[in-house]
Amino acid sequence: MTNKTPRNKAGVSRRTVTAGLGALGLTAGLAPFNIARAAGPLKVGVLLPRSGYQAGIGQDCQRGVDIAAGILKDLGYPELEIVNADTETNVDVARSRAEKLIGEGAQLLVGAFDSGQSSAIAQVAEQKGIPFVINIAAAPPITEQGYKFVFRNFPTAGMILRDAFVDQKEVFELTGASPKTAVFMHVNDTFGTAMAGGIGAVMPKFNMPYKILETIPYDPAARDLSVELAKAKATGAEILLMVSRLNDAILLTREMVKQRWTPTSVMSMGPGWYEDQYLKTLGKLSDGPISYVPWYDPNKKLSKTLETALAKSSPGVNLNTNHVYTFEALLVAADAYKRAGSTDPKALADAIRKTDIKDNSSIGPGISFDAKGQNDKIVGGAIQNRDGKLVTVAPKSAANAKPEWPLKPYNQRS
Amino acid sequence: MLGRLTEGLSARTLILLTLLLAVLLAAPFFASDYLLTVLILILYFAYVGQAWNIMMGFAGHLSLGHALYVGLGAYTAAALYVHYGIGPWIGLLVAIPIAALAGAFIGYLAFRFKVGGVYFAILTIAFAEFARVGFDHLAWTKGSSGLFLPVAQYSKNDLWHLRGQPVMFYYVLLVAVVAAFIGCRALLQSRIGYFWLAIREDEEAARSAGIDTFRYKMIAVVISAAMTSFAGVIYAFYYNNLFPEQVFHISRSIEIILGPIVGGVGTLFGPILGAFVLTGLAESLTEGLHAIGIDIPGAKQVFYGICLLFVIMALPDGVWPWVKRRLGLSERAP
Repeated sequence: MTNKTPRNKAGVSRRTVTAGLGALGLTAGLAPFNIARAAGPLKVGVLLPRSGYQAGIGQDCQRGVDIAAGILKDLGYPELEIVNADTETNVDVARSRAEKLIGEGAQLLVGAFDSGQSSAIAQVAEQKGIPFVINIAAAPPITEQGYKFVFRNFPTAGMILRDAFVDQKEVFELTGASPKTAVFMHVNDTFGTAMAGGIGAVMPKFNMPYKILETIPYDPAARDLSVELAKAKATGAEILLMVSRLNDAILLTREMVKQRWTPTSVMSMGPGWYEDQYLKTLGKLSDGPISYVPWYDPNKKLSKTLETALAKSSPGVNLNTNHVYTFEALLVAADAYKRAGSTDPKALADAIRKTDIKDNSSIGPGISFDAKGQNDKIVGGAIQNRDGKLVTVAPKSAANAKPEWPLKPYNQRS
Repeated sequence: MLGRLTEGLSARTLILLTLLLAVLLAAPFFASDYLLTVLILILYFAYVGQAWNIMMGFAGHLSLGHALYVGLGAYTAAALYVHYGIGPWIGLLVAIPIAALAGAFIGYLAFRFKVGGVYFAILTIAFAEFARVGFDHLAWTKGSSGLFLPVAQYSKNDLWHLRGQPVMFYYVLLVAVVAAFIGCRALLQSRIGYFWLAIREDEEAARSAGIDTFRYKMIAVVISAAMTSFAGVIYAFYYNNLFPEQVFHISRSIEIILGPIVGGVGTLFGPILGAFVLTGLAESLTEGLHAIGIDIPGAKQVFYGICLLFVIMALPDGVWPWVKRRLGLSERAP
């Protein structure tokens, strides 16, 4: 008699494996039927892009989740049961993960760093009537759709640009500087192009003292930016206005050193120049650039608590936007749960709508939401690299240091 | 008509096809919302895989830029809806010619100048990238800030405007998959289909036999592009937001081709089975890793890659030819 399903030594046949996989898939699909909403801690589904091309940022956001439990407990908030899900930097996956988390009993969702993924999750949350608190995503339309269950504690793209120019003016006022010319370099990817368009549209409204002599777009994946920087230097502009990523920020700084050009200031309106890797890679050469970005108020009590907790859980990592805003999304969830006294999603959404947290970490008067679910009171900050650390120099209400101006020449740093 | 479509299919094949269709028709009544979302993804990939299969599986030309046609369909229909309130089905009538024209242009460039093999693949990538960069700067479609379709909580399904619950999209895609399957089978059984297969096997020989290879390759690329644009329209109205970085990205094109490659390139059931295997595998891995407490970012992708590697090594012709043999289906079955 022939054995139609040959078995290996462990007694596992191909048919067994197939059947096992099928059963697993079936279990995955049908599992939600067996799970009832139980009383107990609030079940929060956290969706972040922890793999894929946004993995680095998603994992950084995750640090904000990892320190949340202890801090929230110390602040007297009820316990949260956090269930993590990886969106794999993919809109399809973000949507299906959201469905799955809700099916498994998540009573509130948090995420998802990216506007496209957040938008996909928002639709599921709205359809199911499950509150969704967005940690980071700047596309304005997300809170313009008339959603009842979607809340965003992060500035929109327009707010980010507005605050960047307001803070620049404040820095000029504090330092007595009045630069007349700037050269604008930006990455030509989606983010860089959007920012460049936004800056072009918003800047005229702010009557800035400087005018942009030249705009130089470049490829974020470029291995050599010597030509682009030489072009920027040749304009003779006083300040270098930047929208960049991490690798190109490092490359450009090295080029400035090589080409012996120190602009009066490097003013960044995006990531790169304040990131840990930039500070660690360049050491003394990293000092001086000012980044105008959504940030936290270092003078607030909660910020100090977050810094301490992060130093313990992730030594050597500076507290940043990703940690703070992800933590605050969970803070909103815990606060709503405490006031609602219930895990009922509708009661939670009503409670979130009435949020009024004064003891928060991000810059501004606190966390509250307008009728559209947007925290419209968040304010951006200006941060400067100083001895491998980051200090906040504007707005005055959140500053813990005065801005240093002009940039110390690169050839005078030892 | 029906007789012609079922011609060459054994009774067992017909019974299995009917059973599968019945299961798929009934699935929304039993599946959880999560499972329904997964099934929608499977049907989406089955459909676009079938459209891509015309290019590669039938006509033998590797396209690595099919995200272009998805994106063109999605953006055309979504922009018409957002700016002029034109419904998706009317938008589709505009989207299809645009995608077909784009396909024809790429095809003309490639086939006229004898660009084939990997060079044709690179050309298709290039056009998808052009589109990505172009749409990043196109203010009418909101550039890189993303085009958002208005959404609301829907209690009823509005098929005419494709505004409604996931179950509506499920059935629309199911109809599309069935139609694509029947259409592709009809094409394969027609003269065009035989010409495509001849071109795929040996283009020089096909030309020597009197086949106008340029013409039939152009037909393949135009049909494939037009079919793919329909998937784009569904994508736009299902997700309600479009970003050039996501829609036209090369990873999207790779996702499209994985199903048919795993299922069996050039077979009619390959893209469908491939979509089931890949999406099912991905979801099972997520569930499996979660069940054994592994929460390491990227672990799923590693296991996924290993599984794919094994599938491709063990079944180099794809899963469908193997399944067909195991099920004892007739040689002439799809």
